[in-house]
Amino acid sequence: MTGAARSKSRWGIDGRLVLLLGPALVLVAALFVYPFLYGVGVSLTPAQGREGIFSSYAAFFGDARERASIWNTLRIAIPVTLANLLVAVPLAYRMRRPLKGQRPISAVFVVPMTLGVVLVAQGMLTFFGPAGWFNKTLMAVGLVEEPLRLVHNYVGVLISLFIAEFPVVFLLLLGYASGIDPNLERAGRMLGAGAWQRFRRITLPLMMPGIAIAAALSFVATFAVFPSAVLVGEPAGSTRVIALAAWQAAYERFDYSMGSAIAITMAAIELAVVAAILFGRSRLYRGPSTGGKG
Amino acid sequence: MERTTEKQSKISTERPEPLIGRLGIQGLTKSFGEKVALDGFGLEVEGGEFISLLGPSGCGKTTALNCLSGLLEPDGGDIELDGESIVRVAPEKRRFGMVFQNYALFPHLSIVRNVAFGLEMDGVGKAETGERVEEVLAMVRLEEHRDKYPAQLSGGQQQRVALARAVVTRPRIILMDEPLSNLDARLRLEMRTEIRRLHQTLGLTTIYVTHDQEEALSLSDRVVLMSDGAIRQVGPPKEVYAEPASAYAAGFLGYRNLLPVKVASVEGERATVSTESGVELSGTLRDDLAADDEAVAAIRPEDVGVLASDHKEPGSVPGTVELVEFLGRDSELNVKTSFGDVVARTDGDWSPGASVSLVFPPERLLVFPGEDR
Repeated sequence: MTGAARSKSRWGIDGRLVLLLGPALVLVAALFVYPFLYGVGVSLTPAQGREGIFSSYAAFFGDARERASIWNTLRIAIPVTLANLLVAVPLAYRMRRPLKGQRPISAVFVVPMTLGVVLVAQGMLTFFGPAGWFNKTLMAVGLVEEPLRLVHNYVGVLISLFIAEFPVVFLLLLGYASGIDPNLERAGRMLGAGAWQRFRRITLPLMMPGIAIAAALSFVATFAVFPSAVLVGEPAGSTRVIALAAWQAAYERFDYSMGSAIAITMAAIELAVVAAILFGRSRLYRGPSTGGKG
Repeated sequence: MERTTEKQSKISTERPEPLIGRLGIQGLTKSFGEKVALDGFGLEVEGGEFISLLGPSGCGKTTALNCLSGLLEPDGGDIELDGESIVRVAPEKRRFGMVFQNYALFPHLSIVRNVAFGLEMDGVGKAETGERVEEVLAMVRLEEHRDKYPAQLSGGQQQRVALARAVVTRPRIILMDEPLSNLDARLRLEMRTEIRRLHQTLGLTTIYVTHDQEEALSLSDRVVLMSDGAIRQVGPPKEVYAEPASAYAAGFLGYRNLLPVKVASVEGERATVSTESGVELSGTLRDDLAADDEAVAAIRPEDVGVLASDHKEPGSVPGTVELVEFLGRDSELNVKTSFGDVVARTDGDWSPGASVSLVFPPERLLVFPGEDR
């Protein structure tokens, strides 16, 4: 007893409890902090033929083709994230109360998550390809005369990432939406609010913190896109994303310094976007989404 | 609290003109699958009246309220407001106010914005909205909390915001769904006064759902006693309290002793009934009953006389005190008799094990038909 009392810090926490954090801290240090710092170190070590500690960064930003990879990635990550939110928010709102057939509907939304990007890409190549079912149907119906190009280009990557990221965004938002006290909307109705006003003034603000988190997760995941940019994209052109640029620098040109510089740049952009989203979120209402005592 | 007296002096004793003439509810029915929640609920409400729907949980009182609000569509029946059917009107168009059991305050809006919500939906101008919000906030004494958020307020304060939010739009009818049941005993009394005061000041036609007989009796102009989705008795609190219409109503209104008996003889209003153990008691008939009918004799604990066992009176029943609960002014005794336990309230000083003699005043022992519930 006295031992425990003595080891209490001034916050009233038993000092020994901090030890419980040990394994987690070791894991974080080994898997995240060390590789990150190592990467920073490598990126600041000039490769042969370059001088100055920032030379790898300078080389990356100085080359128009390399620099364009940032824009190529943003051009994918931002629309996919927005599209996911635009579809998932109304769906989650619609499904916030248990519906008939809730389980099969949820399953349809969630299955893509279990398939993995490569399998989805494989399926897309046949389904959305020039001779695939999708184009065949469109042509049979007479909507188009020639097959649409939906794979091996920018659109293909958008579709593939949308399919891959949607379940995460949807499930996260469904959790937020169904956690909102249904009496709040009833109260809104009794106060004269129509369906749109109830969504706009009650449910949406209470879902906003969840929307912010979903946006951050979706952005980070799509910004790091690699396999689908290669498999269903146009890796030599419009979908030469930043992860691909880093990989080519490191493993095709064996310029580890530049590869690391690109990876660190990528991390910096992700952190900046996530920080901006979380800062915005911190200014929102984030309290309970129930209207009083339960 | 110190401001209560100052504000209370502003209560007008005259009721303001009600906003509606009358509300007519006819034959409302509602089933959830097999379960009949509301079975021909009909009631006429005068403008400005305070009506309580009283009954145990599952009696249909909340279903009735939800049908009135429009949040629930009844299977059958009609609701007329000043002669116009509103049963198909959407809740957001009914211009009714509602106070929810869990308050249902918008957690992301400040108190002022919560209260202003309904006025904003009605398209009331900014200046007028501001004035009216301040006015009701003053009425419920929450001016100093105007910029706080619901989570920062206590339960009683949250309930006052809910009241303010519901009345600020001057609803044609205000519906309250057990608004005090989440509050502790002391706050409940305080809020009861608050609700009474608001009703007296604003004269809003109010339908109040509760399972607490004390709340219903103290607040209402008329009490509607419900069970199994139907109305059992309607009347002013005094009448309902003194003259319950059935053994069921009696049981719900504080007649805690309900003794199964058989009618022995009838003489005008008076009846002699015989308990299961053969003890004969004299009571007042509350329905047409004849000798040999199964009946229930009901009496309130406070009407049962408790005397020392050596003090014999005609018709007194011997018993043994089993439990004593001290209640402050008096005590509640559980007395074991030959026909079961009797609850009695007395200011006498008894301890468990004491032998007593119980007296049942005939005018306070009400005899109801037995099969009635």
